Amino acid sequence: MPEASNYMRIVKVIIEEAVSLLVGFAVAVIILLFSGYEPLSVISILFSEGFRNTEVLMKQSIPVIATGLAFSIPALAGLFNIGGESQLYIGAFTGLVSTYIIYNATGQPVLSSVTGLVSGTLAGGFWGFIIGYLRARRSVNEVVVAIMMNWTTYYLVLYLIVSRFTDPIYSHMSVFVPASSRIPDVLGFIMITGVAVLTYIVLRYSSLGYSIRVAGLNPKAAVYAGFNLEKIFITAMSISGAIAGLGGALFVLSVIYSIDTTMSAIYGLGFLGIGIGLLGRNNPIGVVLAGLFISGLQFGGQWVELRTGAPPYLTDVVIGIIVIALSATYTYELLVSKLRRG
Amino acid sequence: MIDFLIALIENTLYSATVVLLGALGAIINEKSGVVNIGVEGVFILSAFSTVYFTLASGNLAIGILLALAVSGLAGLIHGLISIYLRGDQVIIGVGFNMVAAGLTIVMMVTTWGDYSQTPQIQKLQGLQFTIGGKVFIIPLFSIAAILVGLAEWFILEKTKYGLVLKACGDEPRAAEAMGINVFRTRLLATVLGAVVMGLGGVFLSAEWFGNYTKATTAGRGFIALANEAFSNWNPAMAIAGALLFGFFEALSISLPIQLQSVLGRQFTAETYLFKMMPYVATIIVITMVMKKIRMPRALGKPYIKE
Repeated sequence: MPEASNYMRIVKVIIEEAVSLLVGFAVAVIILLFSGYEPLSVISILFSEGFRNTEVLMKQSIPVIATGLAFSIPALAGLFNIGGESQLYIGAFTGLVSTYIIYNATGQPVLSSVTGLVSGTLAGGFWGFIIGYLRARRSVNEVVVAIMMNWTTYYLVLYLIVSRFTDPIYSHMSVFVPASSRIPDVLGFIMITGVAVLTYIVLRYSSLGYSIRVAGLNPKAAVYAGFNLEKIFITAMSISGAIAGLGGALFVLSVIYSIDTTMSAIYGLGFLGIGIGLLGRNNPIGVVLAGLFISGLQFGGQWVELRTGAPPYLTDVVIGIIVIALSATYTYELLVSKLRRG
Repeated sequence: MIDFLIALIENTLYSATVVLLGALGAIINEKSGVVNIGVEGVFILSAFSTVYFTLASGNLAIGILLALAVSGLAGLIHGLISIYLRGDQVIIGVGFNMVAAGLTIVMMVTTWGDYSQTPQIQKLQGLQFTIGGKVFIIPLFSIAAILVGLAEWFILEKTKYGLVLKACGDEPRAAEAMGINVFRTRLLATVLGAVVMGLGGVFLSAEWFGNYTKATTAGRGFIALANEAFSNWNPAMAIAGALLFGFFEALSISLPIQLQSVLGRQFTAETYLFKMMPYVATIIVITMVMKKIRMPRALGKPYIKE
């Protein structure tokens, strides 16, 4: 792509994102006014508290950057991965349990945490592979399979935790990651960001990345040009599952250390990843930035509740409106052409 | 045994009804060419609105009507953005689900100061029969849902409006050439479709649970989408698909209770394994039947007039 048009494209993306954010916050202001809160103070708390603590921001964004990437990679190939949720669950669970088992068997902290990360990644990858395989070989809609797998995995992980891996002291928690196997949360953030950079390089400069993008842009042309669509679908889904799985394992090993028996700490992170993937425009670097931004809003939302009593779920509404506003990119073209014509 | 069978059939009807209404709404939408993965969001909005407006007006009928109006409005917004502003239909659906989930909790907190649930309303009483001394209930909405399904099949397959709708979803350019207003037909379909989905949400609170909680919809909107794909966009098949899913969900509730009483021991963790049944069964069934699917050809693509 020539540099000039690339530059224009970036400007266009920035304008679209800015307008979407404005629309999102405008709607939030209206809702706040209707529900009797002071919009300005709510929004100022949202930003000042949400983005004050860098470490909190980094560790909260680990899983959603992962699920954001897990959404974006298949999206580039024209697939809709709504299964980041279950890929994250299985990665978190497998990572937790294998770290715990290996540490207890060998007493090696580094070996156990590496095993945890690798097994979590493989488990998530296998989950993604199932969806990709059924889509490619049996033409089963990937959305349907992913949704069913989300629920299946939710109950499967609950069953395994409650039946085999409950903590002896805290009965509402799973076993904990052994203290010496834990990964510093800043390192966890650096690792997931490293994965994002690697993804960016692969998507942009490798033949695999090229074939994924061609499949997404024009599947028919891709087939005529000799690309193997089935293989691309399976590969893209497996990679994205692996990243979501790694995100789950990293989140357990470096932030939460245990999964509670309601799964409240990891529920919804996959769905949030969809919004983050979209906000990041399926660009891995964009996903990292979007992940930080949304995590900041969510964390700020909790402070808003403490200070003003406004429910933190308001943040979800804002994120949702931003997502809707982002969908209608044509609107901005329409606006610009209307403005030009006067 | 009779208790077990009655509970099984009743639970099958309850869970099938929601899944059916959601799928029927989505079929109207998608036959016209507009993807709607916001079924869950419409369920959430209509289930909440039913409770909210019933309590505000003191009248269940008004609550239900306003909830359907809210659903129609959601469909209108979805239609306007996706049809006239050429928004990415999948993304809009994702956004809708997020907004609906967040907004209803915000309203719950600001109205009743409660994060988890609304107060109860007076529920609809279904048709009651007595079989072998046991009361057996057929939900009113189950009957309505099957009637809507049959009517929808008839309209799509046997009437001119059905042809027009399908033409917009398959060959919008040819439809336009024949003098059909593709934009308007699609917009009507998104509104109508959302109202039918809304019936599913209304059923959840007006006849099943009697209140709204975060767990009321429990991903059933997504199951409805699965059923839509399973049915191959055919309303009559959607009835069968909903009953199949409903049966497995009912079995996952009734079977552990029955086994416990037969075996004389309590299940704890195992109940989670039972809960996996309907989802695993859906994957297996859909993998076996999904040999030849035929979605509307222009599904998800904005129509651009030349």
